[in-house]
Amino acid sequence: MSNSVNISVETTCENQIREIGYDGTELYQPPPTLSESLAKCAARIDFSKTSLDDLKKEEKTAAAAEEENKDGTQFQESLWPWDAVRNKLKDALTEICVLSDVISIAKDKRYLVLDPLLEEGDDTKPIVQVYSRKKAISQAAQVLLSGAERLRNAHSEQRSRNVSDFHIELLRLRQNWRLKKVSNAIIGDLSYRTAGSKFGMSGTFEVTKAEEASDDDSASTSTTSSSTATNNGMQMKASSALRVIVPAELQGVAYIKVITQKDQEDLCTAQVNLMGHGPNITAQVGVWQKTLEFAQNVLFCKELFAQLAREAIQLQAPIPHVVIGNQIRATLLPNIQLIISLCHSTTFDSNQPAPINDHDHVLEHSLHQLLREVHYKNSHHPFPHPASAPLGPTKKRMLAGPMAADRETLLDMTKSQTILEQIIAQAQHIFMRKRTQYVLDTLARDVKDPQIVSHWNAMNSPTMSCVKINIVTHGYDAIGRTSLVIHVKERSLKCICRDGRVMRLSYEPQELRDLILCQINSHQISCLVSLARCMAWTVLSNSNHLGIGKVEPLGNASSCLLASPNGDRMIAVQIRCDPQIDVKVYIARSPRQDFFPSPLVPEKLWENLGGNFKEVKFDKIEGKSFLNKMEFLMASLTSNTA
Amino acid sequence: MASVSSARESLSHALNNRFLPNLEYLLQGSILDSAVEHLMHRLKGLCDNVDTSPETFHDLEVCMSLRQPNSNQPLLLRVRRALGRDAPFQMRYLGQPEVDQRRPTLVRSCMDCACTNGILEFLTEMGFRLEFEYIAKGYMFRKGRMKITVSKLIKIIPGKQQDMANEPISQSYIVELSVVAPTGQENVGEEMRVFAEQLKPLVQLDKIDYKRLGSMP
Repeated sequence: MSNSVNISVETTCENQIREIGYDGTELYQPPPTLSESLAKCAARIDFSKTSLDDLKKEEKTAAAAEEENKDGTQFQESLWPWDAVRNKLKDALTEICVLSDVISIAKDKRYLVLDPLLEEGDDTKPIVQVYSRKKAISQAAQVLLSGAERLRNAHSEQRSRNVSDFHIELLRLRQNWRLKKVSNAIIGDLSYRTAGSKFGMSGTFEVTKAEEASDDDSASTSTTSSSTATNNGMQMKASSALRVIVPAELQGVAYIKVITQKDQEDLCTAQVNLMGHGPNITAQVGVWQKTLEFAQNVLFCKELFAQLAREAIQLQAPIPHVVIGNQIRATLLPNIQLIISLCHSTTFDSNQPAPINDHDHVLEHSLHQLLREVHYKNSHHPFPHPASAPLGPTKKRMLAGPMAADRETLLDMTKSQTILEQIIAQAQHIFMRKRTQYVLDTLARDVKDPQIVSHWNAMNSPTMSCVKINIVTHGYDAIGRTSLVIHVKERSLKCICRDGRVMRLSYEPQELRDLILCQINSHQISCLVSLARCMAWTVLSNSNHLGIGKVEPLGNASSCLLASPNGDRMIAVQIRCDPQIDVKVYIARSPRQDFFPSPLVPEKLWENLGGNFKEVKFDKIEGKSFLNKMEFLMASLTSNTA
Repeated sequence: MASVSSARESLSHALNNRFLPNLEYLLQGSILDSAVEHLMHRLKGLCDNVDTSPETFHDLEVCMSLRQPNSNQPLLLRVRRALGRDAPFQMRYLGQPEVDQRRPTLVRSCMDCACTNGILEFLTEMGFRLEFEYIAKGYMFRKGRMKITVSKLIKIIPGKQQDMANEPISQSYIVELSVVAPTGQENVGEEMRVFAEQLKPLVQLDKIDYKRLGSMP
C-alpha cells in the first residue's frame, strides 16, 4: 500500500480520568512518579526483533512488563524492575560484539567478502505522493457528502410526510409516564405505587414500535388483542409510531357508580372515574396518552373498590354491609341504601346507557379525595423533631409520654375512620341536609304568619353544616325576633335556641317540624307580650308549656293572659301547634256595664273578680298577621273603655 | 389485652418478642460546604416525597455523663431538643458501637425516650454532669425506614447569645444514614449499604470507629 496515508495519533497531555462524578467533575489519576515512568518507558523500548531468540525473549519481557503495569507495588515480586531491560541490553551487547568481530574479519577480505545486494529502491516521487493523498481525501469527502445528503433527505421527507417519529413520541411518553428499559423491551408503570398506593395489582405496560401504517388497519381489525387502541373502543384515526400494550385486566372503561336508593327509587347517583380531570394533553402528545389514561383509571377504580369492599367486610355495622360481586350495599338511614358498584366494560358498545349527567359531584369528589388521602398518608410520614427522635410516630404520640397520656388516649390515637365509614357518613349528611332543607322550605311555604327565614352557611365540612333560622313577623321586626341555629350532622341534628337550650333531634323529619312549630308558638307569645307592654296592657301571666294536648319534649301549647290598662278587660290567648298552628282568643270584661243585683251577687264590686270569657272569632278580625290582629283587638278594647 | 400489665412487664415483653427498636444501624460521612448542594440534589432525587422543600431541623444536643462506681467508663446520656419548635425533648442512650467487619454498617444499641423540659434538671439532680453540647442544624430526608441527616455542627460559646455564637465547628457537613430497628433484622444493613453506594462519590458513607478516632491527635 504505497499510497496509504499516515495518520499520527497522539495522546492528550492530560492525566487519565479515573472517574466522573455525578456533577460532572472529573477525578484524574495522579501522574506516575519519575522512577515509575522511567521504568515503564524502559520496559517499553522496542529492541529490534532480529532473531528467533530475540522474539522469544521479547515475549517474555512483554509479559514481565505487563506484570509491572498491573501493579506497581508488586515490583519486588518479579526479580527486579530493570531485569528485562538488563537482559535486553545484554543481548544487544552480545550482538554488537559479534558484529564488530564480523566487521574486523571482513576487513581483511581473506575469510569473508561483503557484496552489495541489489535492491529495487522504493523511491516514490513527492508529486506522486501529493496526487495519492489528494485522491484519498476526495474519496473521504465523497463519503461524507453522500451521508449528509441522505440525512437531509430523510429529514425533509419526514417533515413533509408529518409522520411522528418513534423516538420523539417515546420522549413525550417519557415526560408523562414512568418508563424503564428491560433488556430489549421498554416497560412502563402506570400504577400509583410511587404516590403511596399499596394496591397489589401491577400496572405495567409495554411500549413497542407500531407496524407500518398499511398493515395497521388489518391487524387492528382482525387479531391483535394486544393493540389497545382498538380494545378501548376507539379506533384511533391518527397513526402513531408508538404503541402501548396494556395488560388485559386494565383494558376497557371503568367507573364507580354510587347510588343512594330509597325503596328502590334512586335518589342521587354519582359516577366516579378519573376521566375528564386535569388538563387534556392528548392533543399535544400521542394517542397512547388516552390509552394509558383509561388504563390508569381502571386501576384507580379497582383499587378504590377493593379498598371499599375490604372495609365493608371488616366493619362491624349494626346492619351489616353486603358485598356481592361488584356491588357494596350499606344502609345509611332506615330505608335508604347506599350502593357502590364497580362497572368495568372491556367492550365499547354504543347502546350502553349514556353517563348520567346529573351525578353527585360532592360524593364523587370525596371518594377520590379519600383514596388520595390514604395514598398520601402511606407515603408522607411526619419528620421527627428533634432529629434524633425515631421515625414513624406522629407528633401526638411523641407527646404522649411527656404528657403522661392514659391508656384511653393512646387507644384513641390508633383509631381512624375507614374510607367506607367516611363515605357513609358523608352520604348520610347529604341526606340530613336535604331533609332539613325540605322541612324548612315547606314550613316557610305553609306558615305565612310569622316568616321563617333560613340562612345556610356557605362554609361547611363534608359531615357538618349549619343553618340559622330567624322567625319574624312582618312589620313587627323590632318587637321580637326568635332565632335558632341548627347543626346538621350525619345522623342527627343539634338545635341551639336563643335561650341557650340545646336539643338533639334524630334523623326523623317530624321532630324538626315539631320543633319549628313550637318555636313559632313561643315567638308569637313573646311578641304579643312585648306588644302588650307597648300598648300599656298588663301581662298577667304567660306560659310556653301549658301541658295540654300532646305532650312533646320540645314544648306544646302556649298561652298568655293580658289585662287592659284600667283592668276592666282581659284577653286570653292560647296557641296550639299539635298538627297545625291554631290560635284561640278569648276576651272578658268586668265589671259588666249593666248590673242587676241578684241574691248571689248582691253588690257590683263582686263583678270586678272577672267575668266569663267569650271566644273571639279571630279569623274574622281585621289584620294581616296574628300580631296585627291582636294590636287591633287591644286598641279597640282600650278605646271602648275610654 | 385483657389486663393492664405493668410498664416493666410490657417492656420485657417487647424486648422478648423483638418489636422494640433498640439497635441503631449507622453510617457516617462528611461533605464539604461547597459540595453540599450536589448532595442535596442527589438526595432529593433518591428519597421519599421531596416534592416540597427538604425538612430542616435545628437542634441543641447536650451530653450528660455520670461516673459509675465500678467502671471507669462514664454513663453518657444525650438530651436533644428542637430549637424554635414545640416538640418534646428527646433523651437518648447509645451503647458501645460494634464495628463488626462482616456487617456493612456500624451497629450500636440505642434507646430513645421523649421527655419533658425538666429532664436536664432531673439528670443534674441525679449527679449527671455536662460533658459537651453543640447545635446541629441541617436537613433531614427519609427513604423507607432510613433516615438521612445532613447537618452542620455549631459550637456553643458559653456566656454568649446562641444566635451570636454561630461558629461552625468545621467547613463541612456531617452526613448520617441511620435506621433504628429491633434486633434480628440483618437485612437493614444491606439496604443501607445499597443506598450509601448510590451517594458515592459525593460522600463516602462508612462505619466510623470512635475508639480509633479517640487515639488520633
